[in-house]
Amino acid sequence: MASATDARYGQKESSDQNFDYMFKILIIGNSSVGKTSFLFRYADDSFTPAFVSTVGIDFKVKTIYRNDKRIKLQIWDTAGQERYRTITTAYYRGAMGFILMYDITNEESFNAVQDWSTQIKTYSWDNAQVLLVGNKCDMEDERVVSSERGRQLADHLGFEFFEASAKDNINVKQTFERLVDVICEKMSESLDTADPAVTGAKQGPQLTDQQAPPHQDCAC
Amino acid sequence: MNEEYDVIVLGTGLTECILSGIMSVNGKKVLHMDRNPYYGGESASITPLEDLYKRFKIPGAPPASMGRGRDWNVDLIPKFLMANGQLVKMLLFTEVTRYLDFKVTEGSFVYKGGKIYKVPSTEAEALASSLMGLFEKRRFRKFLVYVANFDENDPRTFEGIDPKKTSMREVYKKFDLGQDVIDFTGHALALYRTDDYLDQPCCETINRIKLYSESLARYGKSPYLYPLYGLGELPQGFARLSAIYGGTYMLNKPIEEIIMQNGKVIGVKSEGEIARCKQLICDPSYVKDRVEKVGQVIRVICILSHPIKNTNDANSCQIIIPQNQVNRKSDIYVCMISSAHNVAAQGKYIAIASTTVETKEPEKEIRPALELLEPIEQKFVSISDLLVPKDLGTESQIFISRTYDATTHFETTCDDIKDIYKRMMGSEFDFEEMKRKKNDIYGEE
Repeated sequence: MASATDARYGQKESSDQNFDYMFKILIIGNSSVGKTSFLFRYADDSFTPAFVSTVGIDFKVKTIYRNDKRIKLQIWDTAGQERYRTITTAYYRGAMGFILMYDITNEESFNAVQDWSTQIKTYSWDNAQVLLVGNKCDMEDERVVSSERGRQLADHLGFEFFEASAKDNINVKQTFERLVDVICEKMSESLDTADPAVTGAKQGPQLTDQQAPPHQDCAC
Repeated sequence: MNEEYDVIVLGTGLTECILSGIMSVNGKKVLHMDRNPYYGGESASITPLEDLYKRFKIPGAPPASMGRGRDWNVDLIPKFLMANGQLVKMLLFTEVTRYLDFKVTEGSFVYKGGKIYKVPSTEAEALASSLMGLFEKRRFRKFLVYVANFDENDPRTFEGIDPKKTSMREVYKKFDLGQDVIDFTGHALALYRTDDYLDQPCCETINRIKLYSESLARYGKSPYLYPLYGLGELPQGFARLSAIYGGTYMLNKPIEEIIMQNGKVIGVKSEGEIARCKQLICDPSYVKDRVEKVGQVIRVICILSHPIKNTNDANSCQIIIPQNQVNRKSDIYVCMISSAHNVAAQGKYIAIASTTVETKEPEKEIRPALELLEPIEQKFVSISDLLVPKDLGTESQIFISRTYDATTHFETTCDDIKDIYKRMMGSEFDFEEMKRKKNDIYGEE
């Protein structure tokens, strides 16, 4: 039976205790920088070259082992709401890590990084960790953003930096694993404070469709 | 946006976002726009606090004692979710619960003779309450047992009452309940704002009391739930659902014209571009000539640095001031939430008093509620018109939502949603229609 004080792991499957931590991770950045491809490469090791705007994906789940801990990653897609900059603030709630992505062949997507960074700082938890990723590094011929500029911007924003390719599977796994490590480091620093956000614990009661058992009041 | 859509939705209030979600899930091509740069329209939670000061034209910036502006998410319209009500059912069927966290409201209180009392709704609570004398308690208990067993589809539970004919006044008489008990039953349990219900068939009232007690039975402390970060999270959750199923979202879009042909909507013009559509859903602010005013609501948002007196320091509660306690026709409500819900800076409370306007001096009308809240650090007063569509939209195919009323829960909002759905689709609303049609979480075993 749900109670108001119960803190639970996970979003929907309260019975699933098959992990030690759950991290909510968001991929963010302009349209068509390759966010969904990056997610599919990591979670399924697949790649579809045709450009299809993201429809139909809420999030992907992947469980990994880090330092003998089972960590369940919930990696959320933008649902296409980045196209007109209408991502809901609710999307940012409870996220512990961000992959902020641009396309090295698209100047505009790089110029938007500062804006996305501001969005993250405004709407997310103070301790959320961010990695900057320049995607499509397989397309060297069409590159317009040099690695150096990417690195400089990352330094300026205080984020770690990777160049990657979802298509050629370069640095995809490394990006996610580094993000998880950074989150874990931050977590051990702030373990004393025992912030529920750090374990992905839900704070309130789990809503269910089941009736509570009838009250057994004494009949005096 | 130069495209053809099945449905265009204007305004991102809760009603519009839920309908948008239902339409997208059912394969309709939806374009959803709002003239504001933020989601939620009238059902937004305003953040940061600076924006609330600007909105209400309060001179100067919030004082340092208010803490960090971005820690505030202030609802413009106060409401709670009934734990067993229709909105919770919609959240569960759509699985929008994935995007939200809820807390149970800590208490539900009723005003009597200048004091506030906890609302008794279980037999045990009723027997312990100081609201009633001993004999009254026994009779009230009998009444509650009757209500709990009542099933409108099972005549064996009627015990001589005809749910479609017997008035509630007669039911109260049958159980020999006194005026005070009738007052809090009708207003604090059945949540009626006026006494008009007394002479209507009792079925609806009995079902409302059942909803209250079944909601209460869910989590114990009160029948109400509240989402962390404010009510503005609700429309956003349904907007995400709509987007996942292909809905296109645009904010900050001024709407220049709704284009008609032979009395039927064919599109919407924004920033010189035209998006075509077969049907249009919008809130009243987008179609001022197609709605009429049926009343006014006054709402006073109050920032406090203390919990409300005599509520056992509850971090959230509802107080109902029944109309005849203060010589009015409609009840006054207070909804209070606090920093525990991520809507206010540490140690701060937000209490919103509201009621249906009855006189030329609405601020005077709401005074009994404000007296319970003193000292008030900052007040934000709004008086808004209650607008309803002039027609059903059958001809124009423009379906207009109703303004959020003075009730403190979402039951009437859900009724409006179901009604609009029926008018648009030509078939009865069914919660099953809201279910996600395919798997959208990947990697789960």
